[in-house]
Amino acid sequence: MSAPNEDNFSSHAQLSSEFFGEILDSLIVDVASECHRIARLGLDRNLDEEEEELRLSAEARARVTDPSNSSEANGKYVVDIFGQTHPAVANEIFECMNCGRSIMAGRFAPHLEKCMGKGRKARLKATRSSTAAQTRHSRGSPISGYSPYSNSTSTNRISNGGVSHVASDEYSNGTQEEH
Amino acid sequence: MSSSAKSSHENHRNHLLLPKSLLRNQSFPVSHPNPNLDFVDKDDVISDNFRNSDYSSCPHLLQFRSELGNNPFRNLQDCFRVRPLGRASVRREPPHEIVQCGACKQAPPRLYACVTCAVVSCHLHASSHASDLAGAGEDDGSSIASSSHAIAVDVDRAELFCCVCKDQVYDRDFDAAVVLAQTAASTIGSIPGPSPPHHAENMRKRRRVEYKPWTPDLKEQALIVEKSSPLQSQPIRLGESDSELPWGLRGLNNLGNTCFMNSVLQALLHTPPLRNYFLSDKHNRYFCQKKNNVNPSNRDTNNTTNKKSAKLCLACDLDAIFSAVFSGDRTPYSPAKFLYSWWQHASNLASYEQQDAHEFFISILDGIHEKMQNDKRKLQNQGSGDCCIAHRVFSGILRSDVMCTACGFTSTTYDPCIDISLDLEPNLAGSSKRTSAKSNPYIGEADSTNSSESTGFSTLMGCLDRFTRPERLGSDQKFFCQQCQVRQESLKQMSIRKLPLVSCFHIKRFEHSHIKKMSRKIDRYLQFPFSLDMAPYLSSSILRSRFGNRLFPFDGDEPDAKSELSSEFELFAVITHTGKLDAGHYVTYLRLSNQWYKCDDAWITQVNDNIVRAAQGYMIFYVQKMLYYRASERQVAS
Repeated sequence: MSAPNEDNFSSHAQLSSEFFGEILDSLIVDVASECHRIARLGLDRNLDEEEEELRLSAEARARVTDPSNSSEANGKYVVDIFGQTHPAVANEIFECMNCGRSIMAGRFAPHLEKCMGKGRKARLKATRSSTAAQTRHSRGSPISGYSPYSNSTSTNRISNGGVSHVASDEYSNGTQEEH
Repeated sequence: MSSSAKSSHENHRNHLLLPKSLLRNQSFPVSHPNPNLDFVDKDDVISDNFRNSDYSSCPHLLQFRSELGNNPFRNLQDCFRVRPLGRASVRREPPHEIVQCGACKQAPPRLYACVTCAVVSCHLHASSHASDLAGAGEDDGSSIASSSHAIAVDVDRAELFCCVCKDQVYDRDFDAAVVLAQTAASTIGSIPGPSPPHHAENMRKRRRVEYKPWTPDLKEQALIVEKSSPLQSQPIRLGESDSELPWGLRGLNNLGNTCFMNSVLQALLHTPPLRNYFLSDKHNRYFCQKKNNVNPSNRDTNNTTNKKSAKLCLACDLDAIFSAVFSGDRTPYSPAKFLYSWWQHASNLASYEQQDAHEFFISILDGIHEKMQNDKRKLQNQGSGDCCIAHRVFSGILRSDVMCTACGFTSTTYDPCIDISLDLEPNLAGSSKRTSAKSNPYIGEADSTNSSESTGFSTLMGCLDRFTRPERLGSDQKFFCQQCQVRQESLKQMSIRKLPLVSCFHIKRFEHSHIKKMSRKIDRYLQFPFSLDMAPYLSSSILRSRFGNRLFPFDGDEPDAKSELSSEFELFAVITHTGKLDAGHYVTYLRLSNQWYKCDDAWITQVNDNIVRAAQGYMIFYVQKMLYYRASERQVAS
């Protein structure tokens, strides 16, 4: 009489591997059946084209990183296809549609920000009446976005117009301004 | 597999565009493949037809059908057993009947039940069952004798099998029966989901649009000559060719950290339907302002108020930019007025600092919509694009399905979308093992070869695969199932119900973490194709795949309609971002006349394909192929 444990073990192992084999076979047939359906019904993706695109991209990356290849016209100091060159900061001059002043294109956005009273510094500003803003304008100083009430670091900055902080302090007592 | 594609991708470029067929005054039949249309490879057309009819069936199945008449699979209809979100199997009434081969008493992986007599055979004995019972026909072995026992069904997979051909075969009626069983199982007693917005009809109509190129008649020609003046453009020698440079190429001045705006504007200026709209004078800024200028003679002394009374209309400002950029003047243009208008519209974004180009894009489309709405009705169906040109061009419809994992009940919602934001894969480093990219608990499409594990880098199609794959919602997000009447774990799956004319893919490269209070930029390379077929991401494909790719019309589309044509897209613009999160630079690459141009603020240069393929895409623009015209190298004067 053989040891029952050994026999059980080997027959268990055999059964287990049989079950495993059947499950595996079944899974394989599942995949085969699905793929067969997809292929026969013409539902498969156009893998050839997709692979072609991948290949082209891989080639492109290799070519671009290869230093021996002439590099793409980099930077702003080139001649464009129309044969033009341009300065680093755009120097076209036009009129601001908010205040009417002549502004250089490359500095238009920072100007407009203050001009419109937008931007981070301006947003911290407490609401002021539009007459006060007009008054400041009529006094000939550039429109300032500085808020006398702000405690931001803007007090350390100098506006584009060159008005120093000292000067803007004068306006902080707005209610006492004369018109 | 499509062997025909091998020949087509050699003349890959020429092939995908629509040159001659548009010049011929030919109708544009989308539903019937026309071998005369030479933009489609003839082999493609023929093989598609062949595929659909000849490959899926076999002579024995056809004969079986002719013998058994109208509903040959009727005795199977009650035998389908469907697990929720699972596949169908075939079982008879005693539920725990052990299924095994009649001949050898084994139960190997494939068991086939004869459709006629229900005898079960394994694949080894299936053909003998068919031939043994092959009726009273001639026994010369080559003729197809009575085939009533030739057709069997795979009991575990509900697939038809021809025992004579020893191959799986396909039949519409059978598939229909399976699908009905599957849908019945998941929607017992449920409220039918919302029907897709009634654009389904429109979609069908749109597919069958007859295209005729427009040429002015004599009266119109006279009008054109009288009311307009020709634009001057100097032909510029580019390398060896004497060709003229494309119209509409013009640098945009950087007004101070405004490259985010310039890059998006360049893409929009060359978005074909948008460009056509504005160049056709569909939004004339003079008429629009005149119509809406309430107080032309404003007595207010304040000059600025007077200026502001002009109606704020981003479409008008865009119209001005189109006019300027297509005027033939090649000196860089300053889009100052546009910036001013946009800052009035989007005051929360109005500041002198670098902005996100994608945020800007959404903002201006919203601005155009707001001012241009034809109808002030609140419930504007943005998906249909009837409200404004922005939605007409960019708006698509996404479908979201939430499926109960317990009973299969599916809740469906539709939402319009103006673009698709895609996540890059979390972390590729170290994932050398080829783990399955999807955790499909049920029948799904064959595993994508575009998963990054196989290629080593991320791909746009891989991102779209992930966007549309079923996602298991966490156990903390249990969805209330109307059928089960309790909260159940569920799966969510996105798909595209309606493709927009122009698809904008936004790659989420900027990560903002509120927890860590930091943001970072993901520089990882993303591959994107020059031609993109969106068919696998359509709701019809996703739905079909969910039901085992059965031959069954889903969502109203006809199975033999050649809808692939309307799902093919061509790349025309790429916005790239280089540099760091807060100190970076946007550049747009444009594809005009199959040539790529780099638009870097005021500098327009010509670049090679490779530069574009290797670039770090941030916003990638595709237009429907049938709208993508390949202009000839020489500008043809009409």
